[in-house]
Amino acid sequence: MRGSFLWRNRVLLTAGMLLLLSAHLISTGVHPGDLASRPQSIFLEMLRPIDGALARISGGAQSIVNSYLELVHVREDNQRLRAELAKVTNDRARLAELEVENQHLGELVELRDVLGLKGVAANVIGSDAIGLSHTLILSSGTSDGLHAGMAVLSNQGVVGKIIATSPHASRVLLIDDHNSALDGFDQRSRTRGIVAGLVDDGLILKYVDRSQDLRAGDTIVTSGLDGIFPRGLLVGTVKSVHREGPGLFLSIGITPGVDFRSLEQVLVVTQQPPHLEEKTKG
Amino acid sequence: MRLILLFAVFALLGLALETANFHLISFRPLLPNLIVILAVDLGFRHHSITAALTAFSIGYATDAFAGSHPGLNAFMITLIYVVCYEISSRLLVTNAFVGATVVFFGVILTALGAIAISAGIEAVGQSGGIMPTLMLQAGISAILAPFMFSILARCKRAIGLSVAPARE
Repeated sequence: MRGSFLWRNRVLLTAGMLLLLSAHLISTGVHPGDLASRPQSIFLEMLRPIDGALARISGGAQSIVNSYLELVHVREDNQRLRAELAKVTNDRARLAELEVENQHLGELVELRDVLGLKGVAANVIGSDAIGLSHTLILSSGTSDGLHAGMAVLSNQGVVGKIIATSPHASRVLLIDDHNSALDGFDQRSRTRGIVAGLVDDGLILKYVDRSQDLRAGDTIVTSGLDGIFPRGLLVGTVKSVHREGPGLFLSIGITPGVDFRSLEQVLVVTQQPPHLEEKTKG
Repeated sequence: MRLILLFAVFALLGLALETANFHLISFRPLLPNLIVILAVDLGFRHHSITAALTAFSIGYATDAFAGSHPGLNAFMITLIYVVCYEISSRLLVTNAFVGATVVFFGVILTALGAIAISAGIEAVGQSGGIMPTLMLQAGISAILAPFMFSILARCKRAIGLSVAPARE
């Protein structure tokens, strides 16, 4: 039996029969599912968890790949968003700054309306570089109608006067400079004097007779008699009154009403105060 | 029996690969044709009626679960088994390289044979468009074939089956 043709070629013969069976299946068009619906359902049930597991593994792998790709994108997005955030922060700061500036300008316009005088708002763009003299530099000049001698005010009070101009800039001598002097008076006692700056910071009221009733806390305002500053503008408050010591006059220290270091916008009065005109006419 | 069980498990895996809804590999030709690899391994290493029946069953199962024409895969897989059987009977050496080469052509011939049987011989001449993807799948299957042979050999050793090429 083992040496027979059939035995020697049993594998090939089996395969041949199987090929014939396959060909028969192909030719008859009988679906394997029809022949073996029960085994098929069993195999389908067996395949279902495997397919599910493979899909989960595949899904997990895809999730990892997607996560990595998302991380790469997140990094790019992060850089872009950081740049946008920096820009937005910058814009926000700028807007806040503009709002403050707008508020200051609004106050200056209000001041101008109260005074009833023409004026030009100007930005403070610099201050004295050396520190020996107390000056400011404004962003407006002769092209805006500014000239030397014009009064410079803020909503806090008197700032100073213009001492030099160029087409697009002006230099302001602050009232606390030792070269500055303006005519003022004590609002309570109506005592007049000359407000002058000191070499170091501060103001004094000069040429006030010892007999005058000035007290600490009194308000000093402009008299308008110097022909530069309109009458009634705040100069400062009396800080100290010294009656002791030699001399004919009181030693009166004044705290300026304006914080010169925080000035950002000022109002330059481009019209002469009216009382001076009347005085000139008279 | 052990051989049938082993190949049943791998055939199930191969069919699962064929039918699984892959999210990651949406390009199906990138998946190797494990069924052909199994048929080649059977033809090279197992010369028995059981092996022939196993090859036919694998093809039949493919028809049942992933095929469109009854008997098509059963015919092609059995044919691959017979070809590999004949090659291993005549060649002195049937190493992984030979196996990979046979897998490469086996994948192409299985597909073209399926086209020829289902749509006619003239359809094979008009199937130039699918050749690049078919070659890609055949190449990937051929590259992975030695690894699959190695895994099968390990599994066979583990269950006490012979891994040496069978010649009559």
